[in-house]
Amino acid sequence: MRLLLNSLFYRSPFENLQKHADKVKECAHLFKEAAVCHIGQECKKFDLLTEQVARLESEADGIKRNIRNHLPRGILMPVDKFQFFEYLREQDKVLDEVEDALFWLSFRPKGIPDEVATDFHHLVEAVIPPIEKLSDLVSLATGYFRSRSEAQRTKMKSLIRDIRQYEREADLLERELKFKIFGTIKDALVVYHLIQLVGIVGDIADHAQNASDRMRAMIAK
Amino acid sequence: MNIDIVVLSIATLVGLYMAANIGANDLANAMGTSVGSRALTLKQAVLVSIIANVLGAVLAGGHVTSTISKGIIDPSLLADNPNMLMLGMFAALISASLWVHLATYFGLPVSTTHAIVGAVVGFGIISVGGGAVSWGKIITIAASWVISPAVGALIAGTIFFLVEKRIMAARDPYAAAVHYAPALLFVVFLVLILSFIFKGLKNLHLEIGFFQTVLLATPCAALAGLFGRRWVRWQVHLKSELRPNPQGYSPVECFFAQLQILTACYVAFAHGANDVANAIGPLAAIFSVVKTKAVALQVEVPFWMLFVGGIAVGGGLFAFGTRVMETIGKNITEITPLRGFCAEFGAATTILICSRLGLPVSTTHVLVGSVVGVGLMRGMGTLDLRILKNIGFSWIVTLPFTIVLAMVLYKLFTLFLL
Repeated sequence: MRLLLNSLFYRSPFENLQKHADKVKECAHLFKEAAVCHIGQECKKFDLLTEQVARLESEADGIKRNIRNHLPRGILMPVDKFQFFEYLREQDKVLDEVEDALFWLSFRPKGIPDEVATDFHHLVEAVIPPIEKLSDLVSLATGYFRSRSEAQRTKMKSLIRDIRQYEREADLLERELKFKIFGTIKDALVVYHLIQLVGIVGDIADHAQNASDRMRAMIAK
Repeated sequence: MNIDIVVLSIATLVGLYMAANIGANDLANAMGTSVGSRALTLKQAVLVSIIANVLGAVLAGGHVTSTISKGIIDPSLLADNPNMLMLGMFAALISASLWVHLATYFGLPVSTTHAIVGAVVGFGIISVGGGAVSWGKIITIAASWVISPAVGALIAGTIFFLVEKRIMAARDPYAAAVHYAPALLFVVFLVLILSFIFKGLKNLHLEIGFFQTVLLATPCAALAGLFGRRWVRWQVHLKSELRPNPQGYSPVECFFAQLQILTACYVAFAHGANDVANAIGPLAAIFSVVKTKAVALQVEVPFWMLFVGGIAVGGGLFAFGTRVMETIGKNITEITPLRGFCAEFGAATTILICSRLGLPVSTTHVLVGSVVGVGLMRGMGTLDLRILKNIGFSWIVTLPFTIVLAMVLYKLFTLFLL
């Protein structure tokens, strides 16, 4: 026997979105650990950390599929479904880029050349906060779409501004690092590897910001 | 054994079964939103609904009921054959109960009144012919399929929109709640008091005119409004003392939880007053036939029958609805106190307005419409609009199903018992 009106309600996708965001956050920490370990030395833990990231990425993929497959037409949500899926896509891209960055790191087991190691470290550090903030953003969104509290919306807007700011800082570091790579590294192969790697790491913050922009559109009045 | 006694005993059991089904179907819906939003715990909800329901049945239930539910067929046509009426009512009661049980099993909120009306129509067609059936009544039922959810959705959606815009989305929801509390409480109490008198107490035939009722209700509602600000302050203060409430609702939402409980109590009372008669009316008719061996136009419903009917409805909620509501209370976060309040208060307002305008509405249909209305205003976390197709289908099927089943059962009874 069921409560009759209950069948009208559908499980909120925001619960799973939060789980996905948490996986992304967890991956970000592992990525930082792996990248920092890899800089300038041969890192023994690197493979293990990469494996962990791959496992988390696959779990997050499962959550993403679950969200997409269980939101058929006819389900009414408090937000535009298109915006919601766009958000999910951007949040998932963060993970893809993290995994990709780890692959690129692994292609050169010698680590990052000393000339740019510190700057690369700074860049890695710079892309972590926007990802962490995404999880907080989803948590606030879940509450906001339940209560529609203006105070919560203000907090979300402030968080989105923070993410934008972090992304700008990461962009700046990325650009400076690219200048430095071209200026100091003479080996074309290393330059190519580093430019690709730095671009991908920079993209992590870009996608985090894109996701937050989607969230801003969702809470627009 | 005397056939009358057999029919009477079985009819009593079926009457109680019908009452229990009403509890599981209708009352569980009405109280479920309060449990879902955690405005009430499961035990409180069951207790409150049983008390309100029994009070509704005993104090305001139809002490005198039309022999043939809602005047669908002309009872004088059956005057010569009281046994026909007895078996017909028996068949109607069983058909309606089975349909409501089936609908409850499949999770479809159907109107118990429509089920009993359909069943009586079925019996009427087969016993005295289609010409004796008041088909106008059937048209009003068909109109209810559209009017009830549409008006319910419109009113509940508007209430949600206004409350959300003016209070929840304000810079300071607490200050806004305090500001609007007197007006809000005035409206809520006015609607509830008017509904209470018009719908809840209609069976007492108090003969109070519309304007007299409004004159009576306005000062009471104004008094409630006067205490509104103090009430909000007290509620919010109380809730913020209990550090973060487990559901994470803002303290202002807790104020709506109180209003939701009030509305839920009214709904349970109104159920007792109006819907217990669905199960007890045919039973009273059978009782009367057995006792007097004649067909009366109206029969007295004994006090004990209303009391037992009220208890059976509560029992139905307890037996079939408890586990369900418990699951809701634990798993569903879609119904917040504000949404639950808007849906239930929207339903109460719709029923009041429509019944004053003479539009045919069903509580169940209105409640479904109200929930969807709040959802359409982007108020619900998620709403499965695909289910609406099944619900609409079950509303339409209620009549043919109960009509045919009552006809078949009546035919079988007459073959074996008469």
